[in-house]
Parts: sequence; C-alpha cells; structure tokens
Amino acid sequence: MDIDDILREVDPTFDFVPGETRDLQALTRAWVAERSAPELLDWPPDGLFERINDRIKQQIERVEEMTGDMDPKTNFALIVIQTELERFKYLVRSYLRARIAKIDKHTLHYLSSPALRARLSETEQAYATRHQALLHNHYLSSFLSSFPQSLQNLNDQAGNISMIDTPDLETAVFIRLLTDTLVEGRGTDSDGGMDGKIGDIVILRWSDAKPLVDSGRAEVI
Amino acid sequence: MYGDAGAKLVGQAKRAQTLTNLPPYLTELVRTITREVRDLDKDVADLLEPFQGSFHPSDDQATACTLLVNHLSMRRNKRCLLAYHRVRTDRLEELVWNSYDVVDLAGQQVRDGSGGMNGGGSGDGGTGSLCPQEEDYMRQYSDLLAAYKGQWTDIDLTGSLEPPRDLFIDVRVLKDAGEIQTEYGAITLTKNSQFYVRQGDVERLIAQGYLQKLS
Repeated sequence: MDIDDILREVDPTFDFVPGETRDLQALTRAWVAERSAPELLDWPPDGLFERINDRIKQQIERVEEMTGDMDPKTNFALIVIQTELERFKYLVRSYLRARIAKIDKHTLHYLSSPALRARLSETEQAYATRHQALLHNHYLSSFLSSFPQSLQNLNDQAGNISMIDTPDLETAVFIRLLTDTLVEGRGTDSDGGMDGKIGDIVILRWSDAKPLVDSGRAEVI
Repeated sequence: MYGDAGAKLVGQAKRAQTLTNLPPYLTELVRTITREVRDLDKDVADLLEPFQGSFHPSDDQATACTLLVNHLSMRRNKRCLLAYHRVRTDRLEELVWNSYDVVDLAGQQVRDGSGGMNGGGSGDGGTGSLCPQEEDYMRQYSDLLAAYKGQWTDIDLTGSLEPPRDLFIDVRVLKDAGEIQTEYGAITLTKNSQFYVRQGDVERLIAQGYLQKLS
C-alpha cells in the first residue's frame, strides 16, 4: 500500500468502499486522532459506535457458531476472524481508554461549559459527573469539611490562578494534509504560513491545527 | 506554621509516585495542616475584628501584609492537601482499573508484610495504608467503573492495552488456579504446567498473577 492508497482511504469523498470498511476507517482515524491530540475530541456522531457494537456482537456470534460446527484445529477462517475481532476490540478499548484518561485528568474543565460537555458521550458525561462528585466527597470527608467556608470551593479563581486545570492546547502535533490548503502557524517571534500540498506532513501547534482537522482538510497522525 | 507541614506532605506525595506500593496515609500530618488552616483563619478574623468591616489596606500596611501572608498560606495548604489526595486517588483508581478491590489490597499488604521484615510492620488491621475515607472512595469508584464498563460488555475495557499480536499465547502457570472453561474445552491449571491458549481467555488470570506469559 503506498501513500495514495492511504490518502484515498481517508478521503471523505471517496465512497466506493462498503459501510463496514468505512466504519473501521472512521474508528481507526478517531483512535489515532484521540491519542495524538492534547484535548478531548468530539464523540463521533451518527451512531458510529452503535454500529460498531452491533458488528462486534455479530462477529462473536459467528465465532461461536463456527466453533460449534467444525473442528477448530483445521478451521483457518475461524482463526482469522477471531484475530481480526481481537484487533477490532483493541481499537475500541484503546480509544475509550484514551478518552477516559483525558476526562479524568481535566474533569472539571470538560464539565464546565455546555460546549465542552457536548464532546462527551452520554455515558461519559454520567461517568465524569459521578467521578467528580466522588472526588469532591472524598476531599470533603478527608479534610475540606473542616476548612473555613470560604475555602471549600474547588473552582476558585483567586489570585488569577484558576483551580481548574485545562489541557495544553499549544502542544505540537503532526498532521497530514488531505487537500491542498494554506497552513498557518503562530510562532514565538513571528507567524508563518505555507502553501501545503495534499499528502504533506506538517508539525505545528494543536491550536493552529484544530481548524484544519475539524474542517476535514487535514488529519492528525 | 506557614506551610512547612504542607511542603512535607507534597514531598511525601512526590515520593509516593515512584513507589510500587502505596505508603500509609499520613493522618497526623493532614490533621496538622487542617489545624494550621483553622488557626490562620482565626488569626485573620481576630486581626480584622477591631476594624469592624471597614479595613483599608493602605491605612495600615503592616496588618495588610500579615493578612495577605495568612491568606496565601491557607490557599497554599489547601493546594498541598488537594495534590496529596489527588495523587493517592489516582493510584487507587489505577488499582481499580487493574481489577484489584479493597479486599485484594488488604490481602496484598498482609502478604507483602509477611514476606518482608517478619510481618510486623504493615499488619495493623488489614488495609494499613488506606484511611477509611479512601477505602470508601475505592469501593465507590469500583462501582462507578463497573457501571461504565457495563455499557461495553463485549470489549472488556479493563483488558490489555497492548495491541494484540497473536491469538494464542504460551503461558506458564505460577499458582494453582483450578479449572477454566474455554471454547476448546476445559483446562485444568496446575502449578508449573504450560499451555498454549487463547489470549482473551486468560488475560484476567495473567493480570491477577496466576499465569505468566512466555514470549
């Protein structure tokens, strides 16, 4: 597989591939992006994960049927399906764990505004809210309850330092361009711009890369 | 006074990050710091009392400075306490993700204690290194995680984060684990025997230390 194949795979306008393959690509892409980006990305819309879940269930059933039918020692296809299934499960697991890790790290930040909240799936929201409540309770019962009232908050802004930690949006990421586009980046001394060609790989700050990635002109690698 | 105890606590937290086992909860130190905060708060109140709510920092700079230092020390102490507890809860959460629970941890402590210096050190009533609040927290977090995992039954969220390479692996049995059921029939795991099994079937046992993966 050369670079053109990879690019074609991730090109949103390329739709000769069946839905199953597209979902796998979408998952792989979401997984790579989630692991590289410093902040939590949007939960994939249009029921990607419902479809993925259904498909995993189907495959598990299929595996069970095939083990019942034939001698496992000779059944090569079964091994292939099982291996693929394990890989698929790994992708989903790793993706979800990467998200949970980010949510745990900056729980209050992601719960603080509706726009950030919308990035979480429903179950993740429930998890984050409950987790924060648990933590707060734990602090309260350990020491916070004997503090003076004015010091009991967990979201003070006093002294211009917010207690809520936020992810560092200036971290560098690698992106690959999916179309010819102008890439602009802010530097310490001066800002720079370049005419990017399709397939170019660029390293720049996440805050500069985000608009490109969101609009589908580039992908995180 | 003025944050010495807090600095000590943060030092302990830093140290705890590099240790394999969680050191005992420093109840006494935490209590000292909370007491310090309360004392400081009282000092502030006492200092402000004669002014009857109409204190102007520029009129009495010495008092203003005392107040500022007191306030800052209180905030700093709070941060130290938060940091210490956060480091510990992070550790506890990690343990929960690795499917330990409070009972396991108590068992591990006792075993480690008896294996090391003739068991006298850490055997004080089971979960020696956790305070009751932390035990509660760990229990509640396990429930929370179980609930979240319940949404993804097929994937086994707590499973290995290593990309799967082979479907089947060689394992050696380190401890008798009884009989397990796999798709290919039952296997009896007796100590020191070796098996070629499906990774998904034995992942949990490897994590719990019953089996060792052979590469």
